[in-house]
Amino acid sequence: MKRAVVLVRLSLRNVFRNTRRSVYALTAVAMGAMGLFVFMGFNRGLMNQYRANTIRARWGHGQVYVQGYRGKAHARPWEMWIGRPEHVMARLRALPGVVDLFPRLGLSAMLVSGEQSVVGQGEGVDGIAEAGFFDQLNYVEGGDFKDRPDGIVLGQGVAQGLGVHVGDDVQVVTRDRKAAVRSAKVVVTGVFQTGSQEFDSRAFRVPIVIAQRLLPTDRVESIAIALSGVDGWPDFARAVKAALPDLEAVPFDELDRVYYRHAVDWLDAQFSFIRGIILLVVFLGIFNVITMTVMERTAEIGTLRACGDSRREIALGHVLEAAALGLLGGAIGLIAGWALTAGPLQGGVAMPPAPGITRSFRIFVELDVRDALQVLSLCTVTAAAGCLLPVWRATRIPIAEALRHA
Amino acid sequence: MTLYEVRGVSYRYNHERHGVQALSGVDLDVRKGELLAISGPSGSGKTTMLNILGLLEQPREGTVRFDGAEVSQLSERERTLLRRERIGFIFQTFNLIPVLTAYENVEYFLMKRKVPGAEARQRVLQALEAVGIIAQADQRPNSMSGGQRQRVAIARALVRDADVMLADEPTAALDQATGLAVMDLMKRLNRERGVTFVFSTHDPRILAAADRVIQLTDGRVSG
Repeated sequence: MKRAVVLVRLSLRNVFRNTRRSVYALTAVAMGAMGLFVFMGFNRGLMNQYRANTIRARWGHGQVYVQGYRGKAHARPWEMWIGRPEHVMARLRALPGVVDLFPRLGLSAMLVSGEQSVVGQGEGVDGIAEAGFFDQLNYVEGGDFKDRPDGIVLGQGVAQGLGVHVGDDVQVVTRDRKAAVRSAKVVVTGVFQTGSQEFDSRAFRVPIVIAQRLLPTDRVESIAIALSGVDGWPDFARAVKAALPDLEAVPFDELDRVYYRHAVDWLDAQFSFIRGIILLVVFLGIFNVITMTVMERTAEIGTLRACGDSRREIALGHVLEAAALGLLGGAIGLIAGWALTAGPLQGGVAMPPAPGITRSFRIFVELDVRDALQVLSLCTVTAAAGCLLPVWRATRIPIAEALRHA
Repeated sequence: MTLYEVRGVSYRYNHERHGVQALSGVDLDVRKGELLAISGPSGSGKTTMLNILGLLEQPREGTVRFDGAEVSQLSERERTLLRRERIGFIFQTFNLIPVLTAYENVEYFLMKRKVPGAEARQRVLQALEAVGIIAQADQRPNSMSGGQRQRVAIARALVRDADVMLADEPTAALDQATGLAVMDLMKRLNRERGVTFVFSTHDPRILAAADRVIQLTDGRVSG
């Protein structure tokens, strides 16, 4: 134990043995750590905003369907919609983490205004209930229809196609299960823009009561779920499976696989690559410094070995020293990263519209303790790894030859 | 009692284009408690001889027996253990660890012996006392004179109760008065503690302190 204390003490003192070189090494590690930390915070901010946008614009934390309904074509889909929705919602409401529930009924319809018509894919929703949770719909004109039971909100592309604005009438025309044409006259209360051009050019929402009357049915196609937090989904899904085995709970990232999941995977891969480059810079910085340090200490290594230190013990001392450099540099980098985030980046980073998205974003850097620990670990491990080759080489020099470097 | 029995030892440095025969058929005995000097001009093989005695190099030919056991062909690990337990080194350039104090430099090499804390502290202080450097125990090498550093180096070897101390030109980096003082210290430790010293030098005033002098010339014992 005492020996370990002495070894650690020696390693820590060696960190500042050559102040200028240590400052160089610490700067290299600190810059890397700062870049990595802020980058991870930026990444987290971007992902969280993207996730919040996805959840609160459209999907909720997830949705429940009748088992076997989703993802398949059905000749008589209405038979697989959720029956007695009030009863099911009462049971769902009792499950862990559930904050709110939103019954939905999808419908394809032709929207007609004057001589203009657009084919749209709509949803009947509970306007009053959804108004509180789905706040990311980003109305560019007007707002939701919670105060108008005959209201409709349109995607920006749909509104442009119809040439309508808030207050204009729109006819929703659809066919029921017996192919009979049914229609409802509604009033535009809002025009929204989710950021997804494809979605905005065909989406509309009407009160679920109107959708049920048009189809006609008393069932709902799905129930969107608002939980107290996104981390609560696995528990909720397990509870659904246990309490309501006829239903299938599908998380938002699965529902929005094409956009959200693929975008997240794509961004993650990009971030991993950039993270690798940053770590490589840290590695090379440490490698360079340790190589010079070890060359300078060749005679000392010879002395230690002559006096009975094994190669492994000497290597351990240098690894500890490099790890201490990595840890200290990493800590300095974290502080710098925090200062950067609290100062110049406090107002976020303005981002242009992403591919397929029509509006720009402002990303706030979200620093996280887990990221900080990961950065510290990566810097420490990278620094320790950076010293392995030079130390291995140095301990392979014959002792007598090493002593001649004095 | 013989500590070292060296028989027919040869050593050749192999360089890229040509080799250098450092030792040729050297026979040498070192007795326990002896203060033995190896003398000779530069390039005569003094350092190589000490390296072989210290198990830092392995002879190409010949045998080396240490306290009765053949040691010239031991494995790296066995030689490391033997050096750690039984052989002390004193270097021309002191080779102290600059970031450790005098006390810590001496203590560092005792740690491997797993000596209990209180005893270790006592032994370190005794070793520093024995070489007359106790007042500088908390100083780092860069704030000490050359003579003081060499005394710390001697204390470092002394604290381990090594069977032999091998000193390669221990006074070469010191001024004359300091060099003689260090030599006096080695002689006193040899007399009072029975520590075996083998040292190399080409300074005749230092040689005068030795019990016996081995002369090396071109890698051969010449006297």
